[in-house]
Amino acid sequence: MGLKATARKNAIHALLVYSGGCNGCDIEVVNAVFSPRYDIEQYRILLTWNPREADVLIVTGAITWAMKEPLQRIYELIPEPKAVLAVGSCAINGCVFRNLVGDIKHNPEVFAPLEKIIPVDIKVPGCPPRPEDIIMAAVKGVPKLMAAP
Amino acid sequence: MDLLAGVISVVVCLIGAGLAIAMGAVIPGIERKVQARIQQRIGPPILTPGFWSWLKFAYKWPIKPWATIPRFYESIIALGVVIVIFALLITLPPFWGVLGVASILGIAGLLKLEELIYVLAGSVSQSLLSVPFLRHDLAKGGTKLGFRREYFEQQAAFRALKMAAICSIPLYIALAVPFAVAKSPFIADVISIQNPAFFLGGILPLPSKPIFLTVPGFIATIVYFAGYVMLLNEKPFNIVKPKVDLIEGVFLEYAAKYRTYMYMLIHIFTFVLSSIFVTLFLGIPLDPTKPALLALHLALTLPLPVLKAVLAAFSPVLTFRQLYPASMGFTALAAFSLVLALIL
Amino acid sequence: MTEEQPRESVIVEKELPLGPVHPALLEPFRVRFFVNDEIVEDCEVILSMPHRGIERILEGLPVERALLITERVCGICSNSHAWNSVRVIEKGLNIEVPPRALFIRVIAQELQRIASHLIFIGHAMEVVGHETFAMRAFLLREEYMDMLYFIGGNRVHPAVPVIGGVRPRCEISDSLKRVILETLERSERKLRNYVGRVVADPLVMGRLTGVGYLSKEDAIRLHAVGPTARASGVEWDWRMEMFEYKPFTYDYVILYEGDNKARVIARALEIFECIKIVRQALKDLPEGPVVNRDWSPQRMKFTDSYNEAPRGELYHSYSLDDYGKLRHYKIRTPTITSIHSVEFAAKGDHVTDAVVTIASCDPCLACCNRVEIIDEKSGRRRQFTSMIEVIKKYGWRR
Repeated sequence: MGLKATARKNAIHALLVYSGGCNGCDIEVVNAVFSPRYDIEQYRILLTWNPREADVLIVTGAITWAMKEPLQRIYELIPEPKAVLAVGSCAINGCVFRNLVGDIKHNPEVFAPLEKIIPVDIKVPGCPPRPEDIIMAAVKGVPKLMAAP
Repeated sequence: MDLLAGVISVVVCLIGAGLAIAMGAVIPGIERKVQARIQQRIGPPILTPGFWSWLKFAYKWPIKPWATIPRFYESIIALGVVIVIFALLITLPPFWGVLGVASILGIAGLLKLEELIYVLAGSVSQSLLSVPFLRHDLAKGGTKLGFRREYFEQQAAFRALKMAAICSIPLYIALAVPFAVAKSPFIADVISIQNPAFFLGGILPLPSKPIFLTVPGFIATIVYFAGYVMLLNEKPFNIVKPKVDLIEGVFLEYAAKYRTYMYMLIHIFTFVLSSIFVTLFLGIPLDPTKPALLALHLALTLPLPVLKAVLAAFSPVLTFRQLYPASMGFTALAAFSLVLALIL
Repeated sequence: MTEEQPRESVIVEKELPLGPVHPALLEPFRVRFFVNDEIVEDCEVILSMPHRGIERILEGLPVERALLITERVCGICSNSHAWNSVRVIEKGLNIEVPPRALFIRVIAQELQRIASHLIFIGHAMEVVGHETFAMRAFLLREEYMDMLYFIGGNRVHPAVPVIGGVRPRCEISDSLKRVILETLERSERKLRNYVGRVVADPLVMGRLTGVGYLSKEDAIRLHAVGPTARASGVEWDWRMEMFEYKPFTYDYVILYEGDNKARVIARALEIFECIKIVRQALKDLPEGPVVNRDWSPQRMKFTDSYNEAPRGELYHSYSLDDYGKLRHYKIRTPTITSIHSVEFAAKGDHVTDAVVTIASCDPCLACCNRVEIIDEKSGRRRQFTSMIEVIKKYGWRR
């Protein structure tokens, strides 16, 4: 493994974008990073709030009408190579806000599957996923993706 | 003979610059680890925040920043790294013979230049994250329309100018105390009154009477530490880049290799200021020709960043409401120690 | 214009907009500060970013399924939403709820209130800039999340209440009761220690004291609710009115300072009152069934219900048609009323302090999203449920 891949694996900056879910996933991601019980920093993943610094974009929530364009613009700001982590059922399939119960007709307010808007690399299902799940996805998936190219 | 001495001094300077870069790559990791242990967690490995982050950003693909003068914005940060390394080099023995450079004027001038980097970088950068992010703002019915809309970086540059004007004064006065004790503006004289053995040669010339152990020196050390945190814009004096309103201050738009330079600027500056402290207050200069003294010097540069990390873990961001009195208090303390140094 | 409008005397130099993706706010909303040098002269909070059309998708759903969605209105106070939505139908159709179920609902609600207040304290400390205190708050919160996990099987959406009682899975067994009591014992000691240290810290208190003052008159005029109002001296808590809370003895935390410090401490003190309630509820937990299935969906008149969510007054109302489908679901969350009071309170402070003030009403934007359009000619107000509807009518405004 070259120096480039090692460097990319050893320092990963993650940016959290909250695109209009119920707050649950958002708090759990912050919890995974912030709470000393989980502490994602020990796995070399650091939280940042600046897209220019980020490698990984963590997206939570069903993408609402007003957050669609900001999300795309933030994605463009991140320099390559980058990865996208969709956390929570909302970002993966819209959860209850997008016809999951069967009785809801089409909901025009959410653009739910994140894949329609930006390419997604890793999906963490759950409503909301536990911090353990988020950490496992980040620790197993992201270094592989970062070291790949 | 002159040629040989010239070659030796160039090699010494190169080694000094290399040491600064190497220590700058390690120190942020140590700081982060100390902070994490205070917060009851494990924290990242030592090399992750420094060394590996530098390398990773260097390997990122280039991307154009959002700035009014992108090339200027990118080059100013490389200039900053050069300035910071040069501030270290002029405290190295080869520079002592050059008239007027290895003096308080040289150090203070270069530090002041470094502060201006913030202002220059901030005034041309225009991050997407602040003004142009959302179009709802100028909708019909908005509260106040038609005012100048400020980017984060411009506000940060504005604050950096205030900080450079007010909050760096304690550091400069504290810096003058060793020179006041030596009654000379030159670094060589400051070393000679503390550590006469250094000029006699030997493997490990230890200082006989460091300024740190005198009363004015000790007061000046406290002020120097406060000024150190102020100059590095660390908590609690990080009003230039508080996460809560300006995210990262003036350095918001640096990406890829320019972010490496930005990290180098901040991390190496942490080491350089600490090294200047050890040279001036403890009388142990950074001299690559004496390995034992060099090791002692590098070990003694660590307490200041570690103390800074401890302070950062236990303090909130202070606004200008608290900063002005704090700065005035430290200035008064520094002036008191300066007077003491001149009297005693 | 015939009338002379009163001119504002403030001098605004420039505008400083923050968000919607921003570390201090976390949730997507935008704040425009109008600053003079560093002093905020005016500010405007722009909401409506996380609008998911919940009231609209609830229209026409079978009432049992509404719980799935109402719980997901908010991820911090999910239990209050779920509870309040079942209280509406229980009030409207006179469904009898077993007393044991009422007690378990109160326990879940109070545990979640503690978790929510700890998030607030953590977030406030993060905004003030003190990371260590923020992390301690998140560490303390984990124990309460664990308890909710034991009760409901999910950390964030425990889904405790159902119509006519609680989910049978959420039955509190004797062993679980013992676990909760022991954890409370341990955690209360840590919490006292933590709150004592926060209050004793001179730097943090120096940032909070005297900033963002909101007087009692302004709090009432601007409809502040919950702990935000109680920190300004408004003596009102919806728990005074709720029959579920009648069996318990506890105090209401009412402070009179009205600044950011009071808003933080009001919530910190409320945590201990919540612990009191949970202890009493566990001690006097009545025996019996936990759910009453003896009801059927039928026509129901428009009924409303108020509840004290962690952030204040929560309002749910709906009616049922002949088939038991939901009609006219209406939710009003505490943040939508509280946010304007802090918008007012933020004036006159440094920008960094103003962000703390905005955060000090514990904004939970996930719940609150309304668009109100006032027709200037007729003066009619209309609340739109959908952003799309607004755009279809008024066009994409710039």
